[in-house]
Amino acid sequence: MIRNRITSIACSAYAVLIFGFIFLPVIVLVLFSFQDGRLPVPPFNGFSLQWYEAVFADRKLMSALLHSFFVATISSFVACLLGFLAAYALARFKLPGSAWQRGLLIAPMTVSYLIIALGLLTVLNAFGIGLSLWTVGIGHVVINLPLCFAIIYSSMGDHHINIERAARDLGASDIKVMVLVTAPMLLPSLLASFFLSMTFSWDEFIIAFLLSRFDVTLPVEIWSLLRSGLNPKTNAIGSLVFLVSVTLLIMLELFLFKRTKKS
Amino acid sequence: MMIDITEGAFARRLLASAAILALGAATITITPAPVLAQEELNALVWCDHTDPALIEPFEQANNVKVNLKEYEGTGAGLSIIDQSRPGDWDVLVIDGVDVQRAVDKGILAEIPADALPNADIFPEVRMEPNNTRDGKTYAVTEKFGYNMVSYDKTKVDPADMKDMSKLWSDKYKGRIAVYDYYLPMIGLTGIDLGKATASLTDADLPAIKDKLFALKANAKQVSDVVSSQTALATGEVDIVFGGGEWLTAGLVKDKPNLDWVIPEQGAVRWAQSIGVMKDSTKKDLALKFVQYIVSPEGQARLATSSCYWAMPANAKAGEKLSAEQKTALRWDEQADYLKRTQLYPIPSAELDAKMQDAWTEMLQN
Amino acid sequence: MAAHSLEDVERRKAWGFVAPALVWTIVFFVAPFLFMAAMSLWAQQGGSIVRVWNLGNYIAFFEKDALFRGLTNSLEITAIVTALSILLAYPLAWIIAERVPQRFQRTALILAVLPFWTSYVVRSYSWLLVLSRNGVINQTLMNIGVISEPLELASNRTATVIGFVHFFVMLLTLTIYANLVQLSPNYRRAAADLGANAFQTFWHVILPLTMPGIMTGAFLTFVLCIGDYVTPQILGGNNELVLPQIIMLQLGRRADFPMAAALSIILMLAVTAAYVACARWLKIERT
Repeated sequence: MIRNRITSIACSAYAVLIFGFIFLPVIVLVLFSFQDGRLPVPPFNGFSLQWYEAVFADRKLMSALLHSFFVATISSFVACLLGFLAAYALARFKLPGSAWQRGLLIAPMTVSYLIIALGLLTVLNAFGIGLSLWTVGIGHVVINLPLCFAIIYSSMGDHHINIERAARDLGASDIKVMVLVTAPMLLPSLLASFFLSMTFSWDEFIIAFLLSRFDVTLPVEIWSLLRSGLNPKTNAIGSLVFLVSVTLLIMLELFLFKRTKKS
Repeated sequence: MMIDITEGAFARRLLASAAILALGAATITITPAPVLAQEELNALVWCDHTDPALIEPFEQANNVKVNLKEYEGTGAGLSIIDQSRPGDWDVLVIDGVDVQRAVDKGILAEIPADALPNADIFPEVRMEPNNTRDGKTYAVTEKFGYNMVSYDKTKVDPADMKDMSKLWSDKYKGRIAVYDYYLPMIGLTGIDLGKATASLTDADLPAIKDKLFALKANAKQVSDVVSSQTALATGEVDIVFGGGEWLTAGLVKDKPNLDWVIPEQGAVRWAQSIGVMKDSTKKDLALKFVQYIVSPEGQARLATSSCYWAMPANAKAGEKLSAEQKTALRWDEQADYLKRTQLYPIPSAELDAKMQDAWTEMLQN
Repeated sequence: MAAHSLEDVERRKAWGFVAPALVWTIVFFVAPFLFMAAMSLWAQQGGSIVRVWNLGNYIAFFEKDALFRGLTNSLEITAIVTALSILLAYPLAWIIAERVPQRFQRTALILAVLPFWTSYVVRSYSWLLVLSRNGVINQTLMNIGVISEPLELASNRTATVIGFVHFFVMLLTLTIYANLVQLSPNYRRAAADLGANAFQTFWHVILPLTMPGIMTGAFLTFVLCIGDYVTPQILGGNNELVLPQIIMLQLGRRADFPMAAALSIILMLAVTAAYVACARWLKIERT
């Protein structure tokens, strides 16, 4: 019993310490977004909402925010779709050289984003394709496709095959089987890969930096803002994004996940 | 394990409609229809040109949209141009010492000399050897400043700061940030060794390298603008070697304890030029933009723009600046500063490569 | 009319499904990568690229100490970060999986990864503030009397490691938790039936079973850490350069694409070596 108590206290203490460590920079970030002064550095002068006002008034920052959202959503959707189709093909059918194909699809994960960005830059130039948010999106699909494929493929268990077979016996076409049977069964991994892709794309800097021209994503705009020195505006936008995603997660938690009854 | 297919269907439909919404909205937002048949001007610039206060007056007066892309480091800028198609860019802002590189690549258009207010520009920063070739003008200086010593006057002895060699002494060990740009820093080190920047050669490198290594050993960090500013503002370091008014002018209100000085040995002067791209399809508009930037009003706005403050090249801009702004820029002391400072070194390609290698070695030491 | 076997039809369908992903990967990843590999064998002279095949860039890498040290710094820091992150994340993942009531587990997990959603760049600068001489950590430690002089925590390797560990603890908590939570309780029951106490069960049963999760997380950490530019650049004070910083240096003023390409290939080889080492646990197995 005592050992149990001690373990409990030790666990709680550890959890508190680690969570403290994890949230330390976030607390500082949010605190100094309310800084009454030009610099987000100590001492904390007092409460002011001026930087949040400045953020909303900054048209470039607001459009960068929107751009980030669309690039993340669309590229994640494409990555998930392609990953799902490929995983379905490789898990359900016997294709020659499937080990090579799997390896090829996973390969981009081992290459640094910088290389992917530089490579794409030179290839796009060779084909005379101009840089834009679409090229950033292409780069983001390249980095997220392996992730989606790996997650979805590893969750396509053999026990699912029977259910699909049953559906096909009942006369469903392949597309119907995929959309109405397989996808719902794989929903956790589909959602996980979509969520993870959005997270990686949202905060991705180097590809967005090298492959965009005038319309940029949020990390690039923040980087530009910071060229002139620390600015509480960046704290404000960081906190805003944080708050919005927390709210989104809470909403998803309350409305989406609670409804899925899992045993 | 029972799988509730209706739940999955709900989520699937939710995702599908979200995706369609996203796609639809994206097509509308990301490729916006032009409001008016506005002309557009594409400029590859340094960060101080992105201030709306600078750009909007020009946009409104000429009914154009100015698209800006900032870059850092001439190499990065030139490779952006390499990766672009002819006609992609109309205006270029480039480091004064690199204009000739751009001329070599044939990317700058000739500007008629009478289109520019050359007479109004401070004589020392007209920089004809840089901005012209064979009597043809390719660029004009628009802004200049210095790399010298910024410091916290409540933490260090200001008298010490007037002597550059004090930065290598034990007194300030671990309290210095070195500005992360090899060209001016090698220039400054050369000056401390008594060598003029214009005459630096291969033979000088070993001595400079030794001094650089010693400097690094005495410093806390080698950092860019943001990190140096942060370090100075938080008290992480008390001195930024290579800093200048551009580093601290914006902080003066919050941190009045920050100051800067040109040591007795001298310092280096940087300058940025602006020019019209040869392949531009809108050369007249581009020239108008350049003329706006070097006009007194444009110059005053550029001098105090959001990224960094520094001296405008056009002396007439003084009439458009407030007394406060001129004090922050130390307008009245400029004559003295110009005399005591030298231009950045302008090395050949091989020497440049060697300098960068020396700098990398210093960082790794 | 020729008879198509069911297998042929099936196979064509399968190719149709997998083709989009393959084509995308080949066009937007393999082709650029091959071009970069070719680029690494050329040289940059006087501002333009000379397309003469040579190993000059690679030779320079081994000859110039400053460049080679970029790789050693990267490997050292990545190793330390991976080890530390696993050590710190595993207990947290374990606590969430075993000690937190079922209905709060997802919340606890989400809480553990929430800081992902602040901007990476801004978060790194916030760390700089926290670790600085007058920052929160030093102030607290001095106020409670543990130290009398501020610790040098910022603008050096320590800061870089802390910044990285912060990021990867969150990532690894996720991967290890995912693995822990999928373990059948039967293993524990069997071990208990055989007379093992809690520690023995953990050490001989649970830990080996979670190796795939640990190794996957470790590999991911390795890849992301060794290729990252932002954290060392902001927190490292340029005191020791890692390979990505050196690569970016090649691009800055000189635009030496061939050298940057060569260094990138070397970086990729390091990652491939790590993959080969971990391959045993990284097979994409289906459940």
